[in-house]
Amino acid sequence: MQVIYRQKIVEEIEELKNIYGDDRSSLLPILHAMQDKYQYIPDRILQSVAHALEIHPAEVEAVASFYSFFETREKLGKYVIRLCQTVTCDMKGKHKVARQLQNELGIKFGETTKDGMFSLRYTNCLGLCDQGPAMLVNDRLFAHVTPEKTQRIIEECHRDFIRSEFPRVVPSILRKTGSLLNAETTGAEGLKNALGKKPAEVIEEIRKSNLKGRGGAGFPTAFKWQLAAEDSSETKYVVCNADEGEPGTFKDRFLLYDRTDLILDGMTIGAYAIGASQGFIYLRIEYRYMQKYLEAALEKRRQQGLLGENIAGRKGFNFDIQIRMGAGAYVCGEETALIESLEGERGEPRNRPPFPVDTGFFGRPTIVNNVETFLGAALILTKGAQWFAEHGTDKSKGTKLYSISGDCEKPGIYEFAFGTSINELLIEVGGENAKAVQIGGASGLCISSVEFDRKLSFEDLSSGGSVIIFGPDRDMLQVAKNFSNFFIEESCGQCTPCRIGNIKIREGISLLEKGKCSSSYLKELVKLSDTMRLTSKCGLGQSSGNAFTTIMEGFREEILGKALNSTEGDIS
Amino acid sequence: MNEINNLKKDLHSRAPKSEKMQDVLAYKDEALLKSKIKVTIDSIEFEVPYGTTILAAARMIGIKIPTLCYHDDLCISGVCRICVVEVDGQRILHASCSYPITSPIVVRTHTKKIRQARRHILDLMLSEHAGECYSCCRNGHCELQILAQEYGIDFYRFGHEPKTVFGRDDSGYSIVRDMDKCILCRRCIRACIDLQEVGVYHVLNRGKETFIGTFMNQPMSDVVCINCGQCINHCPTGALHSKDFSEDVWAAIDDPFKHVVIQTAPAPRAAIGECFGLKPGQPLTFELNTAIKHCGFDKVFDTNFAADLTIIEEGTELIQRLYAALVKKEPVYLPQFTSCSPGWIKYIEHFNPEMLNHVSSAKSPQQMFGAVIKTYYAKLHNIDPFDIVTVALMPCTAKKYECNRPEFISSGYKDVDYVLTTREMAQMIKEVGVNLPEMPKSDFDDPFGTATGSGVIFGATGGVMESAIRTVYELVTGEKIENLFDHMQIKPVRGFEGIKYAELTIENVGKVPDILKHIVSDWDWLKGVTLKVAVSHGTANAKRVLENIQSGGKLSECHFIEFMACPGGCLGGGGQPIPTNKKILEARTKAIYAEDENSEVRKSYENPAVVKLYKEFLEGGPCGHISHSLLHTSYTPRTKMMV
Repeated sequence: MQVIYRQKIVEEIEELKNIYGDDRSSLLPILHAMQDKYQYIPDRILQSVAHALEIHPAEVEAVASFYSFFETREKLGKYVIRLCQTVTCDMKGKHKVARQLQNELGIKFGETTKDGMFSLRYTNCLGLCDQGPAMLVNDRLFAHVTPEKTQRIIEECHRDFIRSEFPRVVPSILRKTGSLLNAETTGAEGLKNALGKKPAEVIEEIRKSNLKGRGGAGFPTAFKWQLAAEDSSETKYVVCNADEGEPGTFKDRFLLYDRTDLILDGMTIGAYAIGASQGFIYLRIEYRYMQKYLEAALEKRRQQGLLGENIAGRKGFNFDIQIRMGAGAYVCGEETALIESLEGERGEPRNRPPFPVDTGFFGRPTIVNNVETFLGAALILTKGAQWFAEHGTDKSKGTKLYSISGDCEKPGIYEFAFGTSINELLIEVGGENAKAVQIGGASGLCISSVEFDRKLSFEDLSSGGSVIIFGPDRDMLQVAKNFSNFFIEESCGQCTPCRIGNIKIREGISLLEKGKCSSSYLKELVKLSDTMRLTSKCGLGQSSGNAFTTIMEGFREEILGKALNSTEGDIS
Repeated sequence: MNEINNLKKDLHSRAPKSEKMQDVLAYKDEALLKSKIKVTIDSIEFEVPYGTTILAAARMIGIKIPTLCYHDDLCISGVCRICVVEVDGQRILHASCSYPITSPIVVRTHTKKIRQARRHILDLMLSEHAGECYSCCRNGHCELQILAQEYGIDFYRFGHEPKTVFGRDDSGYSIVRDMDKCILCRRCIRACIDLQEVGVYHVLNRGKETFIGTFMNQPMSDVVCINCGQCINHCPTGALHSKDFSEDVWAAIDDPFKHVVIQTAPAPRAAIGECFGLKPGQPLTFELNTAIKHCGFDKVFDTNFAADLTIIEEGTELIQRLYAALVKKEPVYLPQFTSCSPGWIKYIEHFNPEMLNHVSSAKSPQQMFGAVIKTYYAKLHNIDPFDIVTVALMPCTAKKYECNRPEFISSGYKDVDYVLTTREMAQMIKEVGVNLPEMPKSDFDDPFGTATGSGVIFGATGGVMESAIRTVYELVTGEKIENLFDHMQIKPVRGFEGIKYAELTIENVGKVPDILKHIVSDWDWLKGVTLKVAVSHGTANAKRVLENIQSGGKLSECHFIEFMACPGGCLGGGGQPIPTNKKILEARTKAIYAEDENSEVRKSYENPAVVKLYKEFLEGGPCGHISHSLLHTSYTPRTKMMV
């Protein structure tokens, strides 16, 4: 029995405050550190943290209970096994793995073994959708998990992974490269080019390239940077959104590992362009295994003079980057929620306007860009706007990385030029017989085969790069159900339409499964998802009904016809 | 004075969200903030100051947009989404409460799209809102119910959850939580943190599991709560309400062996009319007396009598402390803090127990009166205090907790048996079929009679300070306060500024009046002394004051500080009619000051009943031995630790 002494905690928290600062933004790092040490964050620690940061204990509990990786009620096991439950892993046999895990450990999901060794949890998207089912054991990632493999993994836990048969890092599968990934660069070339220009010229170069946000919203990057640059505030921030949580997305995981320096170049260029001196990488906790690697990369850059003061010899240009870990919340991929999370709050999106470009982190101008956007920026400053804009369509310049998973022969990461049609994509990946393709993950659209001539581009099918392919035998109602479950859990819960609307949609899907949903009620639910799109507070809430609506439109006959004899079950 | 104005900024590093946003505006271009922006709402074109929200702009021209999570007193949240409107050129609807107008826009407030969206949002809320309206304390004045009616909801489109999930928490003395009726608007959280800095509640979990909870789900009896009831006053539904003791009061009235007396505080009478459809600001003091008798109470007394008594006791205590500090040069705790507000007392007990020595030992008027009734009055009328039931009509939920504190048993029995809030009293009056505004007027009962204007203004923030100044100044100088302040209106301590500060130099001194001769022999030591006082309301401001004192700031030089737990003082108390907002508070305040102006006697020490009480009963005078045992108390150091 571990005894938690109040005085000891207070001292530990004081030390952590010295590292992370004594303002509220240190809350998440402190909670992480305490959870690592005590395997959970009990009431006494929550209270002490609150008093140390001069906030109320209820506020700290509110934050801790928001994120799925924090545990406040009972001590977690030495090994926390988190099985991915999102749609692609579901399709690859997650249920069997889940059953076997429960059999091996003798506990259910959400529980901890009596000996305190294992806790079993579901989690949403580990960024290994092309190699599912995926599983995280503490910060070790496992791909292609099978029921047989679970037993071996558990055995290795007992041996503390000494001489493990499993690789420490699961490599990404890169299938197709294009100009972005093929571009050859030498040491911080883009950054040095940028520093040779005036900030306004850097932004102008980006504008000429017509680079748009790669997270999916497609906001012109140059415009975002310009707004932040024009603001008179002395303090500004650059944030790299590495909270790749959209089901079916895993290209940032690859980029962060493989193009680290270019991304950091991009952030530094952004800082130079807008006049920021502090940057953050908001890294999702599911990618914690990357944290040390990235820390090392940052440290190396500091030694090379590419971070810190007078960067690359440019007098007066000071900039440094900190890594801040998320704690398991999909919604933090939304930029204002991400900023809230950075500030040590619940990751709840803010009202827009005002926008982060003038009222961001602690109310100061902040640019939040996707990992891939920073990569693009770095390469544009290396190779020129012209080079970048060679590919793509009129409104969507360049190429984009796609994370392709689901029912196809060659899942993995692909670089396609904008304007590629779904048909072309399916041929490339070996998924020609697909009956549906989900573009943009859970918040995206489900496209049925009649629309496969539509194109990947900002003007047609805009996304952060998630493409999930559904083969001819997939039960689309089950697909809708999986997405719906996802939103019920991952909605931040603040606004009515997203919080309750998704529950009603999920209940409607249950009625459809039982064959008890009238056409008029289904129509009402589709209208409701329209209300959710119109009235939700953030982009994620607004798109949370998309999958349901598009599946109901594209597969109405399948769903209504199946209704009477369908039973609950796996997608697989 | 700048220091006082800047208190919020300097000392409150952890600003609530609303202030964070103001802070952001503060570094924006001043010219921009002063500029006017053209806006068109429902084809009416007009100009508004930069940054005005669509909701505020619409209200300027009389267009009503429904709201739930929005409240005038609180920072913007934008979570309920009921106030959505269409902004031309935008593909989605926007919450009007949170959309600042920074460029010319065209807004529509009731298109088909909007109507459907609002209807859906209400349908969704109702589908999760357990319980039935008939059995709800907010039946008839619930904001959700009113909107459901306005939007023609006549069936549950998305079903209705009849099961309760959370159950009721009535473990405390003051606040009852019924979270099955909660719509997660978060007003209680914002009230408790932004206005009060107590932080009882917060949103827990996320998604489907989201709910408003206390720290570690502790019951209300265990959490660090000051019972002020601001959460109740800001709740749009019946999810939060005060613990109702009217059944017990009825039982006492119906018991032929019980002598049931009630004291009525100044704030309820200024507001109770609102429960009967009157506009705010119409006091019904004497109508209320008649109605209370109609309910069956044996006697109705004016709490103001005890307020006057409080001024004498607390003023004397202040003089003692000043004398010790200035003449005897003894270490003494100054500034002295007022002790009338039980929410404030619980606040300092929890959050700053090390400063409890600053708090006046005088009981609150409610408890003084209870003690006097069960001793002096009982003796006078030869009634066994066991048979007396004292009820107090208060604007306050914290008073319910206060009357149950174990130390308040001067007669051997509880000083005050039951506390009714303004809302509960209105309910009782309605139950006996009386329309209060139509009642004939009647006076308060003897022996306490009608009190002074000083007692009346206790209900407003700054009132205690004003009364104290009137009495202390005249007792010390022998001069009329009217000579210094026109119509006795001590304006520096009036108004809604969060923290007020005033100075008053004593130029000349007079003779020591008889009543104080046992304390000091002359006033010469006060000659030329500048008395410094401050007034704060809302415990968030109290926190700032205490921080300033502890850091040796300007307020540490004060001699006397008035603290009221609720914003606006007792008039904005947690037991007052709902809604309460700044505009309503202003109207109620006006009513109270008008009543003061109309009073014959307006200084506590001139209250004939008080003078008589000291003569006949409280031997030893103010702060004497009898008054000490009956009218003074001590406090309990607590902690903000919950585990």
